[in-house]
Amino acid sequence: MPEITQQKMEQIAQLWNARGSGLITHMALDIEEVSVEGVRVRMPFNPDFCVDGDQTLLHGGILTALLDSVFGLANFVAIEGVSTMATLDLRVDYLRAARSRADVIVHAHCFRKTRHIAFNSGSIWFDGHEDAEIARGTASFALTRGEISLFDAMKEGKAS
Amino acid sequence: MNLETVNANVSRVPFFRFLNFEVQSLDSLYADAEMTFEPRHVGNPVMEHYHGGIIASFMEATAAIAVHPTFAEVPAKPINLTVDYLRPGVKGPMFARANVTRKGKRIASVSVITWQTAQDKPVAEGLYHFLLV
Repeated sequence: MPEITQQKMEQIAQLWNARGSGLITHMALDIEEVSVEGVRVRMPFNPDFCVDGDQTLLHGGILTALLDSVFGLANFVAIEGVSTMATLDLRVDYLRAARSRADVIVHAHCFRKTRHIAFNSGSIWFDGHEDAEIARGTASFALTRGEISLFDAMKEGKAS
Repeated sequence: MNLETVNANVSRVPFFRFLNFEVQSLDSLYADAEMTFEPRHVGNPVMEHYHGGIIASFMEATAAIAVHPTFAEVPAKPINLTVDYLRPGVKGPMFARANVTRKGKRIASVSVITWQTAQDKPVAEGLYHFLLV
C-alpha cells in the first residue's frame, strides 16, 4: 500500500485551508487522519447549521454536505492523477436526530476506484459517541484523469 | 396556505437562513422555492459552482416544507435521501420544486427537482423520505 508523502499531506491541508469563502471554509473542517484506507475529519459545532431556535439540532443537509466534501477528499487521497471529480449520486440515511453541540466526526473512504468512477462510503457521529452513528452515506463520483491534477487546477484558479 | 406565514417560519430556521431561499408557491401537494446564490454556497472555488451538499440541502428544505409547511418548531423529520446530480450548479439563482408523491399516516415520500435556466434542464433530482410521527 503506497504511503502518503508528507508533501501531499501538506498540499491537502493547504488546499482545504485556502478555499476562501466557500462552504468547506464555513464548515471549518479539520483533517484529523488521512490515509489511502480512509480519512477522518472534524467539523466544529456551528449554530448556523441548526434547525431549531435553541440551536442544538443539526439540519440533515449539512451532514449530507459533510459526506459529499469528505468523499471528495478521500478520493483525492486514494486516487492518483485525478483531473476533475463530480458527484454522480449520493444516498444518505439519517440514523438518529443530530441533537448535540459536540463536534461532528466523519470517516469516509473510497472502497472501489476504476478509471472513470470512484465509489465511497462514510459515517458520521458526535465526538465521543462513535457507537451512536447519526448518519451514513454512500456516493459515486465521475472522474476525469489528465495532466493537470485537481490540486494544480485549484492552485492556478486561486492564483489568477 | 399563506405564503407569508410559511416564509416567516422559514426565516426562523438558522440553516434555512444560511441557505437563503424563499418559498414562491405551494399547496398540499407541492412547494416551489428559489435560492439566492451566496459565496458560502460554493463547492468548487475555481468554477464557482454550488457545493453538491448545498443543492441536496436546498432540496431537503423544499421537500420538508411541501410535507409540512406550517411547522411550528422544527421542519419535517428526514429519514433518508437519494440525489442524482445531472449538471453543475453555476453562479446564480437556483429553483426547486418538491412534489409529494405519497403522504401516509407515518411516512411521506417526496420527489424534488432543481434547475437554473430551464426546468427541463435539471441540475439535480432527489427522492426524500420523511417521518411524520
